[in-house]
Amino acid sequence: MNAACLMKARGVKPAWLLAVVWLVLPAVGISAIAEQVSPDTGLSSWKSEGDALDFEFVQVLPDYVRAVYTSRGLPKAVVDKVSSYCVFGTILRNTTDRPLSYRVADWRYITPDGVRHRIRTKSEWVAEWRDMGVAFRWSMLPDDQTFAVGDWGQGFTTIALQPGSRFALEYSWIQDDKTETRRIEEVRCAPVELPKQD
Amino acid sequence: MRQLSCPNKTNLRVYLILMWLVLLASPTVSAESDPSGLGYQFTPLAPLVAAPDFILKDMDSESYALHDFRGKVVLINFWATWCPPCRKEMPALEALYKKLGDESFAVLAVNQWEDPDHVFAYTGELNVFPTFPILFDPESTISEEYGVKGLPTSFLIDKKGRLAYRAVGGRDFDHPEVEKLILELQAQP
Repeated sequence: MNAACLMKARGVKPAWLLAVVWLVLPAVGISAIAEQVSPDTGLSSWKSEGDALDFEFVQVLPDYVRAVYTSRGLPKAVVDKVSSYCVFGTILRNTTDRPLSYRVADWRYITPDGVRHRIRTKSEWVAEWRDMGVAFRWSMLPDDQTFAVGDWGQGFTTIALQPGSRFALEYSWIQDDKTETRRIEEVRCAPVELPKQD
Repeated sequence: MRQLSCPNKTNLRVYLILMWLVLLASPTVSAESDPSGLGYQFTPLAPLVAAPDFILKDMDSESYALHDFRGKVVLINFWATWCPPCRKEMPALEALYKKLGDESFAVLAVNQWEDPDHVFAYTGELNVFPTFPILFDPESTISEEYGVKGLPTSFLIDKKGRLAYRAVGGRDFDHPEVEKLILELQAQP
């Protein structure tokens, strides 16, 4: 049955049908990616809901990144390097009743000039830290993971851009041998610091 | 080409009901929601293989060897104080331990990278003080042997010392389904 038949049978005007579809689709499994601003921190996050993979991408201030790594007792060189990146807290969750997997190596960020860039992986960070004599291997989002039913995880994702930079993010996951890709437009790196509030 | 005609009102009603049922049955809609955000599912592991053995020290430098727990169901929780879901699940882990921890169930919380002084200070900040052993894996060698990629990750080990279940991400350990799994493992020969 097509939409025309539905409208004819119900006497529904197309504009109303479109409005109903727009309202109902997010509730029935079609993804929606929305930016939210935390009233507590003033930082933005982007959250996808309704997909097999829930995806949340949260701005992190450079000072917070410094604090996280400094309080772990990591050397200044490690702290300086990580905090020179644009860092996002990334939270992933399998919302389905079947396993799914992701690979950060498949993800890309796209700068306003249209260039697609790969994202620095946890393995690359850990290898660099190892060369510096540091055995720390936590905090970054794992390179790849298979999430069984109910599994979820989180970690930092590092983008080689300056504070406040804008980009689009493409992320993907694999379920039942099928790759799903989503794109978030107009993602922004956290500023150097939040503007002072009155 | 055959022209498709519009169905009558009865067919339309059936069609709409069927469409709604399909949507309700889709995985993203039927996935169980959990108000705590932690979830409770554990994934059965197959084939059952021996859990990597270890000897680790607790805050008082007392040594714990996994093989000493043979005959008990053991929940191993890899965690760190800076990991938000690790902090969130800690009270439920303590509640589970209080409920089931005895001669046939044990909890071992294996801390990653941190030192005992720091963790001791952290446990003092919690509303519920953990009474299960907190062990230290300062170089993350044990978590590496268990293939842990992110924190927290938990394993249920059966009475024969085999990896039976895994949970990646925080869990509501106090959930009745988790208790049921443990009781089932305890009932095994």
